[in-house]
Amino acid sequence: MKLELGYINIHDIQFGKVSKVEKGVLYVDAEAVKKIVLEDEQIASVELDIARPGESVRITPVKDVIEPRVKVEGPGGMFPGVISKVDTVGSGKTHVLRGAAVVTTGKIVGFQEGVIDMSGPAAPYTPFSKTNNLVLVMQPVEGLKQHDHEHAVRMAGLKVAVYLGELARSLTPDETACFETLSMKEGMEKYPNLPRVGYVQMLQSQGLLHDTYVYGVDAKKTLSTVIYPTEVFDGAIISGNCVSACDKNPTYVHQNNPIVHDLFARHGKDINFAAMVITNENVYLADKERSSNWAAKLCEFLSLDAVIITEEGFGNPDTDLIMNCRKISEKGIKTVIVTDEYAGRDGSSQSLADAHASADALVTAGNANQVITLPKMDKVIGTEDYVGIIAGGWDKNKHADGTIDAEIQVITGATSEVGFGYLSAR
Amino acid sequence: MRARMIIITNNPMARDAISIREDCELRYTPVSYREVLLLARNAVHGGHKLLTHPLSGSVKPGETPYKSLAISKETGSLDFHSLSLIENCIQTCDKFPIRYENLPESILQDFQVVDSALIQSIF
Repeated sequence: MKLELGYINIHDIQFGKVSKVEKGVLYVDAEAVKKIVLEDEQIASVELDIARPGESVRITPVKDVIEPRVKVEGPGGMFPGVISKVDTVGSGKTHVLRGAAVVTTGKIVGFQEGVIDMSGPAAPYTPFSKTNNLVLVMQPVEGLKQHDHEHAVRMAGLKVAVYLGELARSLTPDETACFETLSMKEGMEKYPNLPRVGYVQMLQSQGLLHDTYVYGVDAKKTLSTVIYPTEVFDGAIISGNCVSACDKNPTYVHQNNPIVHDLFARHGKDINFAAMVITNENVYLADKERSSNWAAKLCEFLSLDAVIITEEGFGNPDTDLIMNCRKISEKGIKTVIVTDEYAGRDGSSQSLADAHASADALVTAGNANQVITLPKMDKVIGTEDYVGIIAGGWDKNKHADGTIDAEIQVITGATSEVGFGYLSAR
Repeated sequence: MRARMIIITNNPMARDAISIREDCELRYTPVSYREVLLLARNAVHGGHKLLTHPLSGSVKPGETPYKSLAISKETGSLDFHSLSLIENCIQTCDKFPIRYENLPESILQDFQVVDSALIQSIF
């Protein structure tokens, strides 16, 4: 399967009378976007705002971040099984409005997740301080239940991203990149001397505000399966989770999964990036055994020599992570796991809730308990009312001068367990 | 229908949802999050097996007061895997400071909704 990504660089978003892309500026017809959002009768009102890199702006509570893309060649459309038909995506050509993002925000529950600061000391912790963000602030109709509210907000973000992505259809990309995964037999014949490396991605799948969807299917109702890595570039995996925002993957991160990108970058050189396996992180212990059994079985079946395993979350998923690591290692396959840590504010506590001797190669994305002082911002998009209650915030953490003490786990993507960020110990 | 599992919970919303199910026995006790874990540990010592992960959910211990978990209805000899898991989880729980005191009722309700959704994800 072969996909070409055509990147159209966006360096600014502005409101305009007509939605269009011109000289790297994304102009947004606010009324057209509002109309799309308000097609859903469950949303009572929506306000649009723009947040640009370097501005004294805080967006919170963030629910999802989505990159506008459009399929210009090949089967299917963006977000198959959710917005588009369930055709298999991942081949042909896709155009990307690189540098632009749709951010959804709104109160679904009273403890809220996700801070994006566009400047100041917290900005480097979130990759979305570097994107030009069109923010949707949505209010539900009276009495809307949390499940329905979450669904409405999620769908609105995806629909607006698709609307904006469509503007890129006939544009000439500033840059293109090609990605190809061969069938098992072809790959073995073409790269007989390269190690077959796979990627096992674990997806949040615990329940309300803890879900992920694959081609529209709730990941907790799936068995571990194989997916072409390029399918994720076309929105095959979307986020329905944001609780403890530091280590959850917004849809944007799935669309730009850096593990997939980095493995492709070395594909055909020193490794054969042979396959990607997706698996879940359910609450039920028997599901964990079943899913990790299948993940290990698939890795063996695919004749992999080594795999990278990434988790999404902390605590419950640590059990899945260690099960996957142990069972895949027992097949004689080398493993590297990627996680973050909850090691206490001084970093001295046990980092993970589970462990095993086979987990002897680990990449950490940082300590989510690390404390940061968020400065007062000139403008808040959404509301700070919940920052004292979000994961990583605490009672009376907002000071008289407007600064807020919080753990970096409040910041969207701060300890991304697929490494989608800009901070590093290197 | 004969109950095949026991739900231990301190969450009134989960209690109401589970109480109408015939496939579950309900043990509702209005105690703390940590005490729910201790009840589960006691049950494991009594020969029950854990069926759900005690640290389900991304709302951390100390942030939510509510916890629901499932154990087997049947008892047997001590299940060391369950014991190891619950002991680990109690240790992990103790790392997190309590931050949920003085929360308004509406937010307590939201915590109940999420915990309730997570335990019902197993059915």
